[in-house]
Amino acid sequence: MNAPETTDKKPSPRVLVFACRWCALIGADAAGRKKTELPASFRVIPVECASMVEPDSVLRALASGADGVAVMGCHLGGCRFNDANHVAVKRMEALGDLLDTVGIGRRRLLLSFGTAHEGHEFAEVLGNFLRELGPLPELTRWRKTLLNLPAFR
Amino acid sequence: MTSVLSRTPRQATSDTLPVLIEGGGAAGITAGLDLAAAGRRVHLIERSGHLGGQMLNLDKIYPTDHCAFCPLWTDIRRLQTDPRITVHLSSRIESLDTTGEGSLATIRTEPPLIAPERCIGCGACFDACAPGAVKPPGEHVYPPSFRIDRDLCNRCGSCVGICPSAAIDLAREEERETLKVGQVIRAAGFIEADLKPLPEFGYGLHPDIMTSLEFEAWTAEAGPNDGRIVRKSGGGRPANIAFVQCSGARDDRLLPWCSAVCCMHALKQSSWVKRRDPGIDCCIFYTDLRTVGRDYYAYSRRAEDKAGVRLVRGRPGLIHPLPGGGIAVKFEDTLTQKREIRRFDMVVLNGNLRPSAGDRYENGAEPPAEACGFAAEPADVAQSAWQGSAAAMMAISRDKEGPCRA
Amino acid sequence: MPGVMVFLCRCCGRIPPTVDLLALGEKIGREEGVAVVETRDTLCLPEDRAAMLRSFEESGASGILVAACSPYGKAGDVVTTLSAACDGDRSHVRLVDIREGCAWIHRGDPAGATAKAGDLIRMNLGFLRHGKRSADAVVAVRPECIVVGAGSAGMAAALSIARAGHRVHLVERGMGGGGMLKLLSHVYPTDAGAEEKLKPSLEAISAQPLIVFHAKTRVVAATGYAGDFKIRLASGTGETNLHVGAVILATGAGVWLPRGLYRYGELKEVLTLMELERRRREGRESPRRTVFIHCVGARCPERPYCATICCPSSIKNAAWIKRADPGAEVTILHRDIMMPGAILERYYRGALEAGVRFVRFAADAPPVVSGDGKVENVSVFDAINGVEREIAADQVILSTPLVANADNAKLADLFHIGIDRYGFFREDDPLHPLETRQAGVFICGSARWPVASGDAAAQGEGAAMKALAILGRERLSARSLSRLPEGKLGHARIEDGFCSGCGNCVAVCPYEACALQKVGGALVSRANKMRCRACGSCMSVCPNGTIQMPEHNARAVGAMIRRAFSPREAR
Repeated sequence: MNAPETTDKKPSPRVLVFACRWCALIGADAAGRKKTELPASFRVIPVECASMVEPDSVLRALASGADGVAVMGCHLGGCRFNDANHVAVKRMEALGDLLDTVGIGRRRLLLSFGTAHEGHEFAEVLGNFLRELGPLPELTRWRKTLLNLPAFR
Repeated sequence: MTSVLSRTPRQATSDTLPVLIEGGGAAGITAGLDLAAAGRRVHLIERSGHLGGQMLNLDKIYPTDHCAFCPLWTDIRRLQTDPRITVHLSSRIESLDTTGEGSLATIRTEPPLIAPERCIGCGACFDACAPGAVKPPGEHVYPPSFRIDRDLCNRCGSCVGICPSAAIDLAREEERETLKVGQVIRAAGFIEADLKPLPEFGYGLHPDIMTSLEFEAWTAEAGPNDGRIVRKSGGGRPANIAFVQCSGARDDRLLPWCSAVCCMHALKQSSWVKRRDPGIDCCIFYTDLRTVGRDYYAYSRRAEDKAGVRLVRGRPGLIHPLPGGGIAVKFEDTLTQKREIRRFDMVVLNGNLRPSAGDRYENGAEPPAEACGFAAEPADVAQSAWQGSAAAMMAISRDKEGPCRA
Repeated sequence: MPGVMVFLCRCCGRIPPTVDLLALGEKIGREEGVAVVETRDTLCLPEDRAAMLRSFEESGASGILVAACSPYGKAGDVVTTLSAACDGDRSHVRLVDIREGCAWIHRGDPAGATAKAGDLIRMNLGFLRHGKRSADAVVAVRPECIVVGAGSAGMAAALSIARAGHRVHLVERGMGGGGMLKLLSHVYPTDAGAEEKLKPSLEAISAQPLIVFHAKTRVVAATGYAGDFKIRLASGTGETNLHVGAVILATGAGVWLPRGLYRYGELKEVLTLMELERRRREGRESPRRTVFIHCVGARCPERPYCATICCPSSIKNAAWIKRADPGAEVTILHRDIMMPGAILERYYRGALEAGVRFVRFAADAPPVVSGDGKVENVSVFDAINGVEREIAADQVILSTPLVANADNAKLADLFHIGIDRYGFFREDDPLHPLETRQAGVFICGSARWPVASGDAAAQGEGAAMKALAILGRERLSARSLSRLPEGKLGHARIEDGFCSGCGNCVAVCPYEACALQKVGGALVSRANKMRCRACGSCMSVCPNGTIQMPEHNARAVGAMIRRAFSPREAR
């Protein structure tokens, strides 16, 4: 469960990205085609719609080694599931409140709705997030607490 | 209820002749999918190397401001994977012989020099091509195959040897195929008419005097500037942009009709310019601001009131590059009767759209029954789509017992 | 447990050397649950198909993991090919992007890229272990159709469907068919008589034995889904129950009276366009001096939309007056002239050539109608010439917008579809303008958005075409209703005994596919398999994870999350 070590720099933060397979994944794919260079410390889980992402999954990810979680969906008004992403935005904002309350901080949850659907945008949004997470302290104490919760065992 | 109704009635049999659709844009794709869903076979003939038509050249569509290609992508993939639909890319209908029962259509195809079914997208040919004839896969196109521009290719063959999957054959020649078809649907869409015959628009005199589709490509998020609004000449940020409506349209010298989609198109383009860079002044020069569809008028109000797009009623009489840089636009604001010559950094000419099959519309009161989308009448995405469905229905009805429209 | 077959694609050397496939292949081969690992130069060429299917068969594996390019590349087709070997079951084949999503964006960090590729493959192996599949729902399709509304759109839809061999129930709240055509004198752009245009349709409907006409009838209840809708009709004589496969809503739009505007209702001879049409039908001649005013009650704060057909309708009548009496004075006071296209541009010019005068006014300086008992003149500030004008008028015609049918909201509720802020039925998206968010329910004509009778008829035919895709089949599967190329991702499933009946899923479902039902004394949620579009919204609001998408269930997702970041030492 250790973060990857490098010689002198702090290792790149680990981010789990829940990407809707429309806007967000298209952006990721475009970044790939353009061969934009990004740190290798993120993993993408495609979802049908950002509304599919359970708040539970975000907490699990933070408990399992992620320093941050990104939820990426289509822009508001552009969801092909009849504005399901509107509800996702609200839910994730509420999750941000929860993260603040328990001391994990909403800065570890990135919400991108319609801002990462092009290659350069995906790279910029993710790159900025990784940079912001850099200076944050390790989550180890919280991870131990969360991992001990019955729900996560 | 008689027993005949409990069976599937009038289902297409293998004897039923396939429908021929000319054009693989919004209208043609919709017609093709509808026909296939009803059990009919379809031959869809598309002139370019990919499906999607002009809608794929749009960055965003109005009034939803969605990316244009996304809804089209899923329809295209369904079309490509439907066993009843045969897509002929890089093809044209060379002739149509309607003398017998059904028609004999001769399809001429110029197959791509890089076979899309063999291209693995590695890009080795692109790296090896000295004259730059190899182009990367089109944005949002499936399959994502590299392409060779035949006009730029010098037939050196470097790409052939380097291709790991033997996808390239520079000797591929055009092919012809004859198809027996039943009904025909015309859905060839539109192209931009050349504005050089109308010198007052200044087209061709300055890199920053562009047609609306050229501006769309230049400012597209997936385009060469990643969505940033910059001048073509010198690359700096423009202080202001003029959108000139009815360029070439409603004009007996070139296109005596209204191209229908341009007012909303300009409102959309200018709204997006303001969204990306609110400091750029946008001015739309219009005659009648046509906002007839659902939410179109509300869109125009948001553009003006919220985004700050300016509207001036008047068609500029002269657009000309200035010696010191920039472009002079001479106009009269007909609602104030004030005349002015104003300097603009960029000018977008909007309006010069004509049907791509043939350069005119017939002078009748109704378009030909088998035409749909822009091929029939200037039409936006929604109209092209429902007309495609209507054309499909008509094709089915005609096959049986004549047109169903009373 | 037979295990998974893993195909690793080298992409002819475009994935290695950044991702070390050799080392990766060995490590993955040792993973629990992996039956065979096969590394190939390509997976997407025509010759790869047969070879891969053979390898899979020989492996005896129960699932396939493909590590190759992105789903927007050709790997998607590879998955389709391989799922053919699993009876078309895509849930047994999992795609991992190690090209666009890994090798191509981490070329500067081969160790990191290889580790990531390993993690991604392990994540998806975990997913395959726990991923489930929902059985596709298949329903028998009722071959009949209902068309609500017998105007231009509804009649065209009904005739098209009947000609294709299906019984159609054409439901009309009025006495007979015709809709707006019954109120008009002539139509544009052909200038044909409305009655002469209507007659053939009415005759065709009478002559068509497959059309059952329900006059003075309304829809009062509706349940069901594509292929199987149960509809209850009510008329003066009682109720009827219908069982149909598809629904077409063609209820048209309503006429609006401009009370309080331009002295309407106060001065004589201030009329609406509809009132003029009636006079024209009755053969009444027009007086000498007519002034038309456009955008009356339209493109204003109360009705912030352009109703599309008012400009052409007004110009149609103005040109008629001039042609019938060349000495007449006909003036149109307008804002923008909404005549887009080639046909309407010609029509507009025709009016100009006939001698109709056009005066433009600004929205904030509307004309003023005056008179004593009867209209006498109209004063307007001519915005283009910058002068005030006084126009003598014997009649003033107000061009008003169509408004949404008052029944739309109720019907939208019954059929679980949307209406826009103006009250018109909402389409799913601009590329599918006749489809709604419920499969099997279609909209056309002015019920969808104001449109002229010719276009309404065309939309009716289009809606009929959409309906036929359902009606023409004996059976319909839920998967086939999806507009996604691979069909939809199954449907939501509720585990009995765990649902607390909280109703969160009912509230959040964009398609109203969930409903609370009494099962054994308790209220639990049930998802309608035909209406569910597998977006997963319900999953994320369920307080105890009871409702799940089997193809994306929490266990499978949890397995992915746990394996996402392997410790450095293990690499």
